[in-house]
Parts: sequence; structure tokens; C-alpha cells
Amino acid sequence: MNAPANVDARVIHLISQLVPVKPQDIKPEQRLRDDLGMDSVSSMELLSMLAEDFELDVGVEDVADVHTVGQTIELVKVFLAKKAA
Amino acid sequence: MRADVVDERTEVVDALREQVRRFCEREVNARDIDAAARIPKAVLEGLGALGVFGVTLPEAYGGAGLRLEDACRLVDELARHDRSVAVSVGLHLGLGTRGLVRYGTAAQHERWLPKLASGEAIAAFSTTEPGAGSDLSSLRTVAKEDGAHLVVDGEKSYVTNGGFAGLFTVAVSTPGLGGAQRGQSLVLVEPTDPGFSVQREEHKLGLKGSSTTGLVFENARLPRERLLGEPGQGPRMLAHILSWGRTLMSAGCCGGAAYCLDKTVAHAQQRTQFGRPLAALDVVKERLALMHARHFAMEALVLATARQQDDEALAVHSLAAKVFCSEGAGWVADEAVQLHGGLGFIEETGVAMVLRDVRVTRIFEGANDVLLTHLGTAELTRRASEGRRHSVSEVEAALDDFALSLHSTHKLRVFRQPRLLHALGAATAWVMASRAATQRAHLTQHPTQLAFAKLVEQQAHAAVARASTPLTDDTLVHAALGLERTGARP
Ligand SMILES: Cc1cc2nc3c(=O)[nH]c(=O)nc-3n(C[C@H](O)[C@H](O)[C@H](O)COP(=O)(O)OP(=O)(O)OC[C@H]3O[C@@H](n4cnc5c(N)ncnc54)[C@H](O)[C@@H]3O)c2cc1C
Repeated sequence: MNAPANVDARVIHLISQLVPVKPQDIKPEQRLRDDLGMDSVSSMELLSMLAEDFELDVGVEDVADVHTVGQTIELVKVFLAKKAA
Repeated sequence: MRADVVDERTEVVDALREQVRRFCEREVNARDIDAAARIPKAVLEGLGALGVFGVTLPEAYGGAGLRLEDACRLVDELARHDRSVAVSVGLHLGLGTRGLVRYGTAAQHERWLPKLASGEAIAAFSTTEPGAGSDLSSLRTVAKEDGAHLVVDGEKSYVTNGGFAGLFTVAVSTPGLGGAQRGQSLVLVEPTDPGFSVQREEHKLGLKGSSTTGLVFENARLPRERLLGEPGQGPRMLAHILSWGRTLMSAGCCGGAAYCLDKTVAHAQQRTQFGRPLAALDVVKERLALMHARHFAMEALVLATARQQDDEALAVHSLAAKVFCSEGAGWVADEAVQLHGGLGFIEETGVAMVLRDVRVTRIFEGANDVLLTHLGTAELTRRASEGRRHSVSEVEAALDDFALSLHSTHKLRVFRQPRLLHALGAATAWVMASRAATQRAHLTQHPTQLAFAKLVEQQAHAAVARASTPLTDDTLVHAALGLERTGARP
């Protein structure tokens, strides 16, 4: 399946590759750990996939406060804006 | 295991340790326990009478209210005599009761803690399932709400103390409960609960006297009050409970190693070859020194871990302790067999049993390979955000260099390279052990201990160097396995 074009859908698509949850069931308010069953390793793996997929220069220190799907989408948007600036 | 920071509770624990030692010398026969594959009831009752099952439980319920560090010193003593007994007690004090003590309600405390403190009831803990071992996110045992009840269905495997436990803390999947869509929760289960059954004993390589069983839930109806802590918060609670479990298990590894070390030193002094005691041979001397040093570092890391007050710090330390001590115990036991020669291979000598007993410590409470990846992830996250630190020891600086080079070379991509995280985890465990050993030796300024610490620091250096060498070529790995190299990442 090809990756969708808009940011929200693309982030959700990537998350769905790491957890056994369908994209349509992944919502912004969900927590990566408690709701989606990720642990410290898989949540860092996700952020790493995002950085690569969107070609963002994100550092480990930038992702410390990312806990939910919505915050993940926001992080991508902030870094996309930085890249465009 | 001698306390390295002495306070008012040290004496209480020293006295209890001495009572336990005398009791074990009198009543605990490891070879009989191994042969019969069970711990005599009198042993468990005797330990109960000494108060061993209540050491970490609150005083208000008949426990002694002692700390994790104190419990570690007792489990270490037990493991010097018998690892099956040590694991049964250690599991009760850590995984078995920690959740109830920390997250239980007053009603739950009143119902179970007095019996657990006296040893009338022994505790068990269960997460593992036939399809969910290292990957705990895939639990299939499910609890669904039905009015005032939870209905549980599923199967659990390898439950220590399962055959005789009076209370089980069980991790179950609870989709939607407490608002967590893929949530997991903990429930408290009694052996007489309808729909719940304990399966037959497993036959094992070692720890033969400990009980290991499966559990089956078939439409098991538990009152809702059996939920432990917040529904849907299972993983958070498990992280804390496992920190305790891993620390206590590491203490057991120290005891097993101490037994092997004592036996080997005595044997090497008494056995003569080439006209001299083995202990006077250069190669043997070096082996013995390294065994002493490794054991010293294992103890130091367990004590340093047990003293961590912050949950996050305890979790990271316990990962390092678990890996370092399980590997250390295996290594010391193996060296003990080797230095005993043919005698080491003979069961009556005792060290062969330890080698069998400690093997599982690299597997249970999280397989070491999995934990090393977690430790590597935690360390990389921490070091990358802190940056290079000044005025740290040479070995710490070498580890900083390694972590920071991984970060600068791979950026976030490093988190998709488990072999690199694993290598960093392995180096981290050695450096944390070296740090703990150095601090412990500096407290006493004892020349022997300072030498142990130096030897461990040298080995930690070697471990960092080994971890920093390039990984085995992916292409070769795939070729060796006859695999196409598909989806490989740069
Ligand atoms: C004697 C005994 C007592 C036990 N007591 C308890 C208990 O009281 N309660 C309880 O809940 N469980 C208990 N267990 C279960 C134990 O915790 C599990 O066996 C352990 O977590 C490993 O799970 P698994 O057996 O499913 O192995 P798997 O998950 O199938 O893993 C097998 C091996 O594959 C490798 N591996 C797997 N995943 C990875 C990865 N991501 N990265 C690198 N390598 C990997 C490791 O080498 C691992 O050892 C006990 C087990 C034994 C043998």
C-alpha cells in the first residue's frame, strides 16, 4: 500500500506499521504507550521512521515530550515548517 | 553480601541473615531438593517462622517494612545455600507482592498482606503466555467487564511458585478499560477462583526445586475489586514491579556466584598438581582474581541498584544489574566447574548444580538480549540529551564517545538498528557495574577491593571497545543464513 500524502494520514500510516491497529482506529488523542501498546524501544523506532520518511533533522532531545499520536503529528509539522523556512 | 552503607537497619538485617544462614545450614539440602524437584514444606514453613516472607511487607500487616536492599541481602544468603529456595522467596518478595504493596487498596491489603507476610500464603506473578514472552504487548489473556465482575479467558505459562501460590498477580489485556484502547491491567487471582486452574509442574534444567506451572482461565469470574491499581495502567505498574523483581533476582545470582567462588578457592588451595596447589599456578591465580572481581562488582551493582529511589533510575539500573549479574553468575559457575576439573562435572561437588540453576537467569524476567536493547535505548536517549560530560572517568568517557558517535552518525535512525542498541546496552552494563564497584571500593579503601574495582574497570574498557567495533557485516549474516538481503536499511 502506498503511503498517503497528507501529514496526519502519513503519520498514522507509519504508526499502523508498528502496532497491530488499523489506521482508521488510530486517533490523535491516543497515547503511544498506554493506548497503542508501544514501549520505549518501539516509540523511539517510530520517531526514527518518521524522521526518515519526512526527511527531517530531528534529534533525540527533540522527542522527549512526545507521548500521543497528536503530539507526534505536531512534531512532524513543526519540523516540516522549520525545513521549509 | 555485606552492606556497603551501614545504617540502623543494617544490624537488623545482619541478625536475620545470620538466623537464615543457620537455618539453611541445618535444614536446607540443595542436592535433596534438586533430586526430589521440590522444596520440603518444612523449609518454607521454617523460613516463614523466621519472618523471611514478610521482610519487605508493611509493618502494619505483620511485615518488617524493610527495604529492597535488605531483601537483596537475604536472597543472596538463601542463594548461597539453594537457588530454588532463593528464587521462590525472591519472587514472593518482588514480583509476587510488590504490586499489591504499592498499588493495592486498603481492602486488598487487609485481605492478603497478613497471610503473605507470615508465609501462610506465597505469592506468584504471571505475564508470560504461550504466544507472549519477550513481546508483552501481545497478551491474549483477556478480562472483560460483566457487571460487577471481570470475566477472564486465556492461558499463562511458566509461573514460578504456581504449584503452591495463594495469590497470583496476573497481567491481562483489558481493551477499553480505563480508556486505554489496547490497555493491559493487573488482576489478583486466588487458586480457588471459579474457572481458574493451575497446570502440571514443568521439568527443568535447573532450579528444579522451584515450582513452575501454567495457568488456565476459562470463563473465570473475578469480582471487579480484584483489579490491582488503575485499570489500563498495567505496563506502567509492570515496569516498577519488574524493577524490583530483576534486582532481587540479581541478588540471587550474587549468592550463587559466592557459593561457587568459595568452593573454588578452597579447592584450588587444597588440590595439588605439578607439585604446587592449583592456587599457586599463574593462570589459575588470574582466573581466581577475575572471579573475585566480577562477584564484587555484581554485589556492588545490586546494592547500588536497590538504593535507587526514583522509579526511572531504578528501572534502568535493574536492567543493567539483571544482565550483568545473570551473565556474571553463569561465568563464575562455569569457571568454578573448570577449576574443579573432573570433580566439577560430578554432581556431588555442587558447582555443576549452580551452573544449571543460574542458566535461566539470562532468560527469565526478560531475556538478556531484549533487555540490552532497552538499556541501549535508555542510555542513548539520556547521553544524547546530556551531551559530553566533563570530569568523568576514562571508561565513562569512552562510553560517552561511543553513544555520541552512534547518535551523530545515525541520528534517530539508530533506534531502528537493534544490534547497535544491543551493543551499547552491553557496554553500558559493564560501565555501570564498574562505576558501582569503584564507588564501593572507595568507601572501604580496602586494597583488595580497590584491586577488584580496577580489574572490573579494565574489563569494562574492553567491553566498550568490543561494543564499538563495527557490527558483523549484514551481507555476511544474510549470506550465512542463506537469506536474500531484503529491506536492509543503510
Ligand atoms: C524457570 C522459569 C520461570 C519463569 N517464571 C516466570 C514467572 O514467574 N512469571 C512469568 O510471567 N514468566 C516466567 N517465566 C517466563 C520468562 O519470563 C520467559 O520465558 C522470558 O521472558 C522469555 O520469553 P519466551 O520464553 O517466550 O522467549 P521468546 O520471547 O520466544 O524469546 C526467545 C529468545 O529469542 C531472543 N529474542 C526474542 N526477542 C528478541 C529481541 N527483541 N531482540 C533480541 N533477541 C530476542 C532471545 O534470545 C530470547 O531468549 C519463567 C520462565 C522459566 C523458564
